[in-house]
Amino acid sequence: MQEFFQLLVSGIATGGIFASLALALVLIYNAMGLVNFAQGEMAMFATFLAYSLIGRGMSFWIAFPVTLVLAFAGGIAVQRVVIKPVERAPVLSLVIITLGLATLVNGLAGFVWGYVPRSFPSPFSSDSIDLAGVFVSYRDMGVIAVTGLVLLCLYLLLQHTTVGLTLRAAAHHPEASRLLGVHVSWMLALGWGLASAVGAVSGIMVAPILLLEPNMMQTIIIYAFAAAVLGGIESPLGAVVGGLIVGVTVNLAGAYVAGDLQLAVGLAIIIAVLVLKPNGLFGRAAVRRV
Amino acid sequence: MTALLELENVHAGYGPTSVLHGVSLEVPEGGVVSLLGANGAGKTTTLRAITGGVRWTGDIRFAGRSLRRKATEDIVIQGIAHVPEGRGICTELTVDENLRLGSHLRHDGAEVRKDYDRVFEYFPVLKERRKLSSSTLSGGEQQMLALARALLMRPRLMLLDEPSLGLAPLVVRSIFEIIRNINETSNVAVLLVEQNARIALEMSSAAYVLEVGRVAVEGAASELRDNESVRRSYLGY
Amino acid sequence: MNRLRTAPPRYWLVVLAVVLFLGLPTVTSSFVASEWGQALTLAIAIMGLNILVGYSGQLSLGHGAFMALGAYISAILVHRYHVDFLVTIPIAAVATGLVGFLFGVPALRLSPLYLALATFALAVVSPSLIKRPAELTGGVQGILIPQPDPPPFAGDAFNAVTGTAMTSDQWIYYVILFCTLLLFWLAWNLGRRRPGRAMRAIRDGEVAAAASGVNVAGFKTLAFGISAFYAGTAGSLFGLSIGFISPDTFPVSLSIQLLVGAVIGGLASIPGPLLGAIFAYFLPIESNQWVPSQTWIPDQITSTVKNAGPAVSYGVVLILVMMFAPNGIVGLVKAGYVALNRRLRGAADRETGQLPPDPQTV
Repeated sequence: MQEFFQLLVSGIATGGIFASLALALVLIYNAMGLVNFAQGEMAMFATFLAYSLIGRGMSFWIAFPVTLVLAFAGGIAVQRVVIKPVERAPVLSLVIITLGLATLVNGLAGFVWGYVPRSFPSPFSSDSIDLAGVFVSYRDMGVIAVTGLVLLCLYLLLQHTTVGLTLRAAAHHPEASRLLGVHVSWMLALGWGLASAVGAVSGIMVAPILLLEPNMMQTIIIYAFAAAVLGGIESPLGAVVGGLIVGVTVNLAGAYVAGDLQLAVGLAIIIAVLVLKPNGLFGRAAVRRV
Repeated sequence: MTALLELENVHAGYGPTSVLHGVSLEVPEGGVVSLLGANGAGKTTTLRAITGGVRWTGDIRFAGRSLRRKATEDIVIQGIAHVPEGRGICTELTVDENLRLGSHLRHDGAEVRKDYDRVFEYFPVLKERRKLSSSTLSGGEQQMLALARALLMRPRLMLLDEPSLGLAPLVVRSIFEIIRNINETSNVAVLLVEQNARIALEMSSAAYVLEVGRVAVEGAASELRDNESVRRSYLGY
Repeated sequence: MNRLRTAPPRYWLVVLAVVLFLGLPTVTSSFVASEWGQALTLAIAIMGLNILVGYSGQLSLGHGAFMALGAYISAILVHRYHVDFLVTIPIAAVATGLVGFLFGVPALRLSPLYLALATFALAVVSPSLIKRPAELTGGVQGILIPQPDPPPFAGDAFNAVTGTAMTSDQWIYYVILFCTLLLFWLAWNLGRRRPGRAMRAIRDGEVAAAASGVNVAGFKTLAFGISAFYAGTAGSLFGLSIGFISPDTFPVSLSIQLLVGAVIGGLASIPGPLLGAIFAYFLPIESNQWVPSQTWIPDQITSTVKNAGPAVSYGVVLILVMMFAPNGIVGLVKAGYVALNRRLRGAADRETGQLPPDPQTV
């Protein structure tokens, strides 16, 4: 029983990581109707940047926000340079472009940092504390706290600020927003910047667990897809809930079923949702854009 | 004295299809002008040309400055509120959020609060439903929301595309009352596109009738009202 | 005789290409022949992907997984059940095609975006799925595929032409070439007949196609099945050519490589997959070998190209092609041909006012 709760807690921590990346996917999907296949690679690249900063002597807790800012800027740059020129192209063309982007970013990371896995320092001690008979590691709690905080900040930004309002309006109702003076094009860039920053969080949180190398996020993105699809690809809340569910499920499956089948569980979730309830838990049947 | 809005020989269209063939019209400061005509005559296209939603040639000037090659967002900021066909309500957002989109560009906080008070006076139902999703509003209520949102921009000119569409006659009456009130108290000019010519002419000082992309008839509203043959041929009553 | 004279230049190009490919092993080393053989297997797989994406408008990012299936079916039949390799090729092809067809059924309900997502996930997960039944698949260690000796008739013919003995690699090359020609001819025929036209109609507008009486569901699943059939054949031949397969032979980057090849060559065309395959296969090899050997290229560029490897080049090329030439090389060539034609014939037609007829589409 104790083991179950431990798995539950670490599952929630993993879920927070999946939720962050899933949320990045949802942000871009809401803005453009597009799944950004390069989200994981962009997060990986940001994590490498953090690694470099820390390697130069910056403390983790300074490198972390600095990296988020860099990731934000990077996301905007990608939108302006690669996406904006083709924003009227059919969705499949854009998907292929994001695949090209993923390949490019992966190669770039390999070029700059090589393919040898590196260990990434965790800011949290590896000790555990005893909570009512259950041993919970500081790392898990730290990940839960950090991802929770980031998600909370994003929620507050989107729901309770004017910028967040114009962002949401531009994403769902581009034509109507223009008539209200919203610069839809800038909002799209902003959306990409935010998505990139939130995705970077998932990369930085997962790096201490997985070892940092260019292919690090390729499995995480599958879990993030599962989380986003499960939650309903338009729903930010769904991304968070989906992330937690996937995190816990995959963790439990890994322990009670088989360790090497975790990724297959992710795939199974994707397929099951798409076949049984394609709109996910919180999605709507149709998205109409005005 | 230059008019607030001037269109000079405007040609506009969608891709290879040309819809407007040399439309010229004027809206004076604080005036109410109707743009009438049958379906497909080009009324909506005219409004879209003004706010940059469709390509045009010729000239369109607002307060003397040309709007050529300006993006919609930049045109609207100059003081034009365009309530499009279908109202353009952001149904993903609440009533309050829609209203905030109207006022989000303004920096005069105290005046904004006054305008909110005024808007809730005109449309009390919006105050009641403030926190609800705007998709729960009825057609008439959505029209009110669209108008309120436009008002909160404190525009100098409002472009209204078929405000009566799909609404019950009583609701139409009250909305037009409010539009007239807005025009008289705040001196906001109105360019009104309407199929319901009768009610439009009652409110307007001048009117233009479009037919297949050209101005077929223009003049003071009173003249058009009194001219029976014009009414029969062009206005349907 | 008249028909030969008026045949469009396209047919002569095809004949030329076939002749070149037939003669290739006679003038190059055995190793180069095996490289080109592998490129041709990619061409087959890309042709299959092309049928799915270019002709019926469904995006699959998981064709590497279908290749893996075909490869493993052949390998297991040879390794465990001692079936002759050539016999396993059609078996693997048909089996993979059936699996693809079954895939096509639930795929109907998915929007193109979700289909891309699901197939991408499949591609990422398939190596670990292969590792699991280690008894059957050899797990992480993979399966060795013994390469057959050339049969006497082939060896004799080759000897007569070149005076040297035919190697296994060269024989395998000819097997692959034969399959490639057969499958390309099949695709060309499908394209011209009802299935091709139905699929193009579906790609260009499902609702309109359905309204015209096209069995949309049937053709879309058929496209999936055929496309998997091609990928399975390609995988089987690929395994034969390399002589060894393991779960790592078919990573997700292979699926992306196939997509790159399809897009660059030109979707919905016949020569496109071949051109795309040549690009996709030889780019990494050439960037690693050819570029460093060119002394006129400065060292920094060389080391960048060598280290960044194919990934960066693929990525950049993919993005640039989608932005500027979404119809790929074939599209560019066609556009160039049309433009040239217009210019050449323009003078005469100013009088008649008629546009020159479009070049014959194959």
